[in-house]
Formats: sequence, C-alpha cells, structure tokens
Amino acid sequence: MMGKYVKKRLAVSTAVAAVGIIVALIIGLIGGYFAGSMAVTPATATITVTETVGAKTVTSTVEKTVERTVTSTVEKTVTSVKTVPGAPAVSRIVIGVTDKVTDIDPSNAYDFYTWEVLSNIMGGLMRYAPGTTELEPGLATSYTVSPDGKEYTFRLRPNLYFADGTPMTAEDVVRSVKRVMEINGDPAWLVTDFVEDVVAVDDHTVKFILKEPIAFFPALVATAPYFPVHPAYKPKEIDSDQTAGGVGPYRIVKWVRDVELVLEANPYWWQGAPKTKQIVIKFFKDATALRMALEAGEIDIAWRTLRPTDIQDLKGKKGIKVIEVPGAYIRYIIFNTKIPPFDNPLVRKALAAAVNRKAICERVFLGTTAPLYSMVPMGMWSHKDSFLEKYGEHNLELAKELLKEAGYSETNKLKVELWYTPTHYGDTEVDVATLIKEAWEETGVVEVTLKSAEWTTYLEYTRKGMLGATLYGWYPDYIDPDDYTSPWVNASWTGYAYSNPELIKILKEARVKPSVEERAKLYEEAQDIWAEDAAIVPIFQGKLAIAVREGVEGVILDPTMLFRYWLIYKAS
Amino acid sequence: MTRIFSETEVASLKAFIIARALALIPTVLILITLVFFVMRVLPGDPVIAIVGMKAPPERVIELKKELGLMDQAGNPIPLPIQYLNYLSKLVRGDFGRSLIWGKRPVLVEIMEHFPATVELAIAGFIVSIILGLVLGSLGGWMGGKTSSAVKTYGAITYALFIPWIGMLFQLFFAVWLGILPVAGRIDTGLEPPTITGLYLIDSMITGRWDSFISALRHIMLPAITLGLVISGVFTRVTRTSVEEVMRQDFVVAARARGIPEHKILLHVLKNSFVPILTMMGLQLALLMTGAVLTETTFSWPGMGTFLLERIQYRDYTTVQGTVVFFAIIVSLVNLIVDICYAYIDPRIRY
Repeated sequence: MMGKYVKKRLAVSTAVAAVGIIVALIIGLIGGYFAGSMAVTPATATITVTETVGAKTVTSTVEKTVERTVTSTVEKTVTSVKTVPGAPAVSRIVIGVTDKVTDIDPSNAYDFYTWEVLSNIMGGLMRYAPGTTELEPGLATSYTVSPDGKEYTFRLRPNLYFADGTPMTAEDVVRSVKRVMEINGDPAWLVTDFVEDVVAVDDHTVKFILKEPIAFFPALVATAPYFPVHPAYKPKEIDSDQTAGGVGPYRIVKWVRDVELVLEANPYWWQGAPKTKQIVIKFFKDATALRMALEAGEIDIAWRTLRPTDIQDLKGKKGIKVIEVPGAYIRYIIFNTKIPPFDNPLVRKALAAAVNRKAICERVFLGTTAPLYSMVPMGMWSHKDSFLEKYGEHNLELAKELLKEAGYSETNKLKVELWYTPTHYGDTEVDVATLIKEAWEETGVVEVTLKSAEWTTYLEYTRKGMLGATLYGWYPDYIDPDDYTSPWVNASWTGYAYSNPELIKILKEARVKPSVEERAKLYEEAQDIWAEDAAIVPIFQGKLAIAVREGVEGVILDPTMLFRYWLIYKAS
Repeated sequence: MTRIFSETEVASLKAFIIARALALIPTVLILITLVFFVMRVLPGDPVIAIVGMKAPPERVIELKKELGLMDQAGNPIPLPIQYLNYLSKLVRGDFGRSLIWGKRPVLVEIMEHFPATVELAIAGFIVSIILGLVLGSLGGWMGGKTSSAVKTYGAITYALFIPWIGMLFQLFFAVWLGILPVAGRIDTGLEPPTITGLYLIDSMITGRWDSFISALRHIMLPAITLGLVISGVFTRVTRTSVEEVMRQDFVVAARARGIPEHKILLHVLKNSFVPILTMMGLQLALLMTGAVLTETTFSWPGMGTFLLERIQYRDYTTVQGTVVFFAIIVSLVNLIVDICYAYIDPRIRY
C-alpha cells in the first residue's frame, strides 16, 4: 500500500493545484475588472445643445359646423451640436426592459412596447401631449372636418424631413397609410375599418375619406399604423427589421434583436434634436436581472416590467426613484350570458357585487394596481364608477340577497367554474383567480371551482363560447372610450358572450357624435347599462411603474403608456 | 496519446464509424416525428394564438396557408400529408420560416443564436471539467473523509438551482462588489467583427482586446454558474472511477516496483477516462440544451432564451425547427463521443 508520506505529498500537491486554479480565477476576475473598467468606460466628451423654444400656442375652436382647427407653432433652433471627434457621446441614457420589439414596421407591429419604440423613431399627424390624454398636433399643424364628418383634411408642417434628410410630403403619408392597408397586417383594422381612401391634396395637405363619420378619428391618426414611414420600407411586405424609421426624435443606429437597440438623436426632427444624444435599450430576459442591473448602475432606467415586489423594494433604495402613474391597462371578468347559470342576470349581479377588488390590488399587486368600477379606465373622460354606485365594493349582503332571489341557498349552493390562464397575464394570475374565488365563496352560497388552460386553448375555448366565467385583460389600441366598450359587445372573439341592442345603439351613436360633451354623456349612459347587465365586470386597472437612477430627469408617463425618450435627460 | 493501429484495427474502426453514423438516421427521424406530432396533438389553435383576438377571419386563413395547414384553395391538408411535406422540406435543409417578425428562415435565426450558446457551453464546460477532475481525482485518490467531502460537494452542486445560484452570484459580484456585469454578452459598441461568432475568439483574432475583456467579464458569471452545477456530476463520476481503478492490480504492482506516485496517478486517470468521457459527451449535449436557465438568468442571447421566447410567442415553425436542430446536434455529439471511445478503448465495437 501507499506510504503515508507519499499520500500526504500527493494530497498537498493536488490541493496546491486546486488552490492555484482558484487563485488564477480570482486574478482573472480582478484583472478583468480593472482592465475592463479602463477599456469599457466611455470616454467623456462634451455636448452642448443650446435650444430656443419659441412660443407654443395651441388654439382650439369648436364651431357649430363641425369644424375644428388646432394650430400650434413650435419653433426650435439647434444652434450648435458639438462632439469630440471619435469619442462616444456623453449624453447617453440606458434603458432596460424585459419587453420585446416585434416588427419595427407599423404595418404589422401590434404590441405596446414596439409602438413605444415606433413613436420614438416616427411620429403621427396627431400625438398625445406628454403627461395627458389630450391630443395635440404632431406632424400636422391643423385639421378640418367636412360637415358630414366623413372627410378629415390635415395640413402638414412645412419642412419635414426623414432621419436621413429626405424631405417628407403628403405623398409619403398617403404611401404609408396605403401600404398598411395593402399589407393588411395585425393592426391594419385601425385603418381599414374606418378609412375608405386617402389622398394628397398638395405637398402639404392630406385628406382622409372615411367609410362613416368617426368622431375619434384624430385619436386613430395618432396610432402607429398611420405613421409615415421612410421610402426604404418595402412597399408590399412587412419589413420587420427595417431601421430607416420615419419622422421622429430618434433614429436607429444599431439593432440586434433581443439584445440591444441603439437610438441616436435625429438632427432633422421638426422640434430640433432631443437633449439626450443616445438612448440605448437593453433587452433583459428576466425581471430580477433587470432590477439588479439598475441597482448595479448598468442601466439608468428600469422600465417594463418590474415585479410588484421589486417595485416595493426599490422604493426605499438610495439613489433610485420610483415613479408610478395610472396605466390604461385593465382587467375584467367575462360572464358568458348564453351559458347557465350566467344567463341569469341575478347571478351575474351577485357575483359582481361580491368581488373584493381592494384585496386583489393590495394582496396580489401590493398596491401597484387600482380597483376599477367601469370598463372606461380612470383618468379618461366620461369615466364613471358605475359598478361601485350599483353594487358597492365587496358587498356580500347584496350578493346574498340577489342569490337568494335567484333561488340559491346554503343548502342549494350556486356552483360555478372560474377560468384563468396561468402565464399570459403573469405569475400573479392564479392569485387573482384565488382571491375572486375566496370573495365569492365568502357569501356562503357559492362554490367555485378554479380551472386553467394554456393561452391558446383558453382563447380557442372562449371563441367557441365554451367557458362560463373567464379572466381577461385589455391594452387599448387608441385612447378613446370607444376602444374600451365596442370590442366586447356582440364580439366573435368572446363567443358572442354579451349583446344588448340598446347598448349597441348608444355606442354606435357615440362613435359619430362630433362633440366630446355629447359623446361623454352617451358613454356615461353606456357604462350604467354595462353595470346593470353585469356581463363583463371590471376588476382593476394597472399602474405603470418605472424606476430611475437619481439624476435622470424628464420622465413623463401617462395612460397612453408610451415612454417618450426625447424628454429624458441626465441632470449634470 | 499516440497509438499505432494495425490495418485490421483501422478497418474495424472505420466500419464502426459508418455503422454508428447510419444509426443516427433512424434516431433523428424518430425525434423529428415525435416533435412534429406532439406539436400538433397539443390543445389550442396556434393560428388564433398568433393573430390574437382582434384579427379578421381572412388573416386566420392566410396564416393557415402559410403554416401548411391549408392548401391554396382553402381546404385543410390531412396530417400525414403535412408530415410528408415537412420531411421533404427538411431533407432539403429547409427548416421553414418563422411565423413572426419578418418571417425569416428558421435556420438563419438559429445560426444567429447558436454561437452564443456554444461559447457559453464551452466556457461552462471548461469550468466544470477543471472543478470536476481536480476534486474528483482528489476524492478518489485520497479516499476516506476527502472522498465523502467530495461526494457531498457533488450532491450539493448537482442539486443547485441555476437561477438561484446565478442570482446570488449576480447580487454578490455585480450589485454588491460591482466588479462584474449583471447580464448580457458584451458592452454596447464593443462587438467584434463576426468570424466564428464566438466573441472571445473573434476579438482575439482581430486583436480587439477591449472587446475581449468585455466579453470575458460578461461570460464569467454565467460560465461559473453553469460549470459549478455541471461539475457535480463530473466530480462523482471521476471519484468513483478513480477509486475503482485504484483497486486494480496494476496500481499495486506499479507501487511495488517503486514507480513515482505522480506517474501512477497519470495511469490511473487514463484508465478511469472512459466513464468520464461518456459523462463529458452526455454533459456537453446537456450543456447545449440545459443552458436555457443560465441564459435566461443572465440574459445571454443564445439558443435557450431564443427557444423559450419563441415558445411564448407560439412561433411553431421556429420551435419545431429549433428542437429538431438540437436533436441533430445532440446526436452528432453522441456520435463523436462514441467514436472517441472506440479510439481510446479498442474493445468497444458493435
């Protein structure tokens, strides 16, 4: 056998080898750090952007003859933009997201994050004033509506240029909108459902001829499918990775799908180049890594989507600011009025009364969502807490009463199935479903079975009208009460779960009425009918939370949920 | 190692390689068939999932045609025909086109993400081999308490949950110490020109040392995480194998002849190598596919995150193509490992 001495010597030498490897690793780590920090830190350069913003006037007149004029003059002169040759720009802001960019092409992009990117590299004839849901002129300076409400004529700003300096005219608007109609991608209905034709009257005037009068057409024009795109976009097919953009504050200089997107200030933008020269968007696969990257200082802004627990934690962190604003994202329950027991209005009303919205918002989302009592979200004109007025919050007494009237009792319990989909709306979905079950069962008269199905199956079953009670969510297409009401009434995707002739009539009327006041009245009426029918029950409205490192200013968010990169800057 | 083969040995090795390569075909075919039918048996309509709830019916029909579920006239194509169509395309190297984002060819998308996974897998593999071989031989050679300590190490690391240990590393090295990046593959603007697609190699070839350092800093945490978890298996196999060889007569004989211990250790290692090599082959294949969790934790833009993402987007053709690609890669790696055995140990022949 091996001698004790030899064994010891061998053990020592092996151990030395192991220690050596570990030491080498550590040296590598430290060396890597120092060398890396020397090599990687961008050299500082000075950028001086002096801007003179002229008087901004927005005049809005609503005349008897359905004619509106919105004029705005924004003058901006960029007197000097200087960079040290060869050195990377100093004014760079890095934004981290867990979202994805789908098609950098307005003809097929139909998700919130891509629309955000598009709205930073392109622009529409109209846009939302930052921090509000008010429309303001974008590429257009004014518009007029024909007396029959079917023709909208937009006057473009003079001297519009694409990001490479190519002039943009009314022809480009026509080409881009027609391109969307021809390609007929996912969001094309935002154009094709409403627009009959679009023509260039002259170089600076473009006319939309509608299929029927649409009061909210300017809101549609502010959506991505109406954005004029650079002539480089393929005319007849989806151009997913096209980086030529449109007429917007930034242009794409680098695009590596799922890794990073680098934007550079567009010197030709009609408002003048934005304050921050370079915006880098880093794509994370995981919310935890996103949060840690913010804490480590690798990114300046952690945007969509941090987890509720992370937001809560970050609130107390030094050097990090958390900004919360109401989002236009809503969640609701659909009762299929064709399936028993939900065909009984008493049952639907009782269940609507029993829901405990506050518990869901506080226990599942730690206060990052807010209870919602109407399909029209809070913060939007015409919003009315109809469900709260009618049923109160977590009103078990009323629920019991209604169920008793419907013939249910503790010995003859109402048995319902509540369906949810486990991942599509995040990991929190099962908790939401559980709390709804808990609240319903608190009446003592209801027995709830929770059922779940994968998103594809879930959608398919819903479409076929097979599910009684389902949980769904909605992100708006355009910021108008119409987008929060019409899509559910007599809708094929819900398996025609809900239909009410009176409501349909009101909604149709509200679409064409030209004045906001009249429309608001109609939508208020619609919300009351909605609550009375209790076929689709709102639960909560999402809030947007963004975490930024101290020193980053100009973060303005609003229910449009589009983050405007051109307003952010680093305070020196 | 140098070995001179006799002519018959060469012939037999050749025959073995050919036989083994031919056996690859049915394996891959079975895998492809399984993937194809499993994807179609799953409930849920992929078309509705892709176009969403607001899409008009003509879009649904259009997409069904694109997916090869319907012919141009709008009639549904029977499943067996769909299968044959798919196979005939596959044989011609056509993996189909992605259903989303530009409908790019699946193979092109795969090739864009594959180098990142290969780079991470190799780095993780090196870490795991170093840890596994050193600790495993130490345990096997020393026996006793060291052996049980190594055994425990193997069990613990094997049971580690990658996102958990990865997050701890991120928290410690990136957030607290601030010496390594949390996530990503390289710093913005430092990507080396593509030659092999492996940033470490490409930056070395082109002499871009800033890129090299940036890539090295980024790969460290994911490689150590992955390597640590995989090293458990290596440690255990190496330890057992070394212990077994140690009990063989030739070790006793060598010692009796007074041959220096380090030379004996070399022979022991060489003789314990076949099971270790098997494990290496298996682990290399596992590393390729099993890097999914590591890649997700560290936002590493490789095949794992790519596959996961496309599953979420119901990009059926890409998911199918990626799974088939993985199947082929794993089979090829196994083939190479088998050939290596045959080379190392002439007794292995079918």
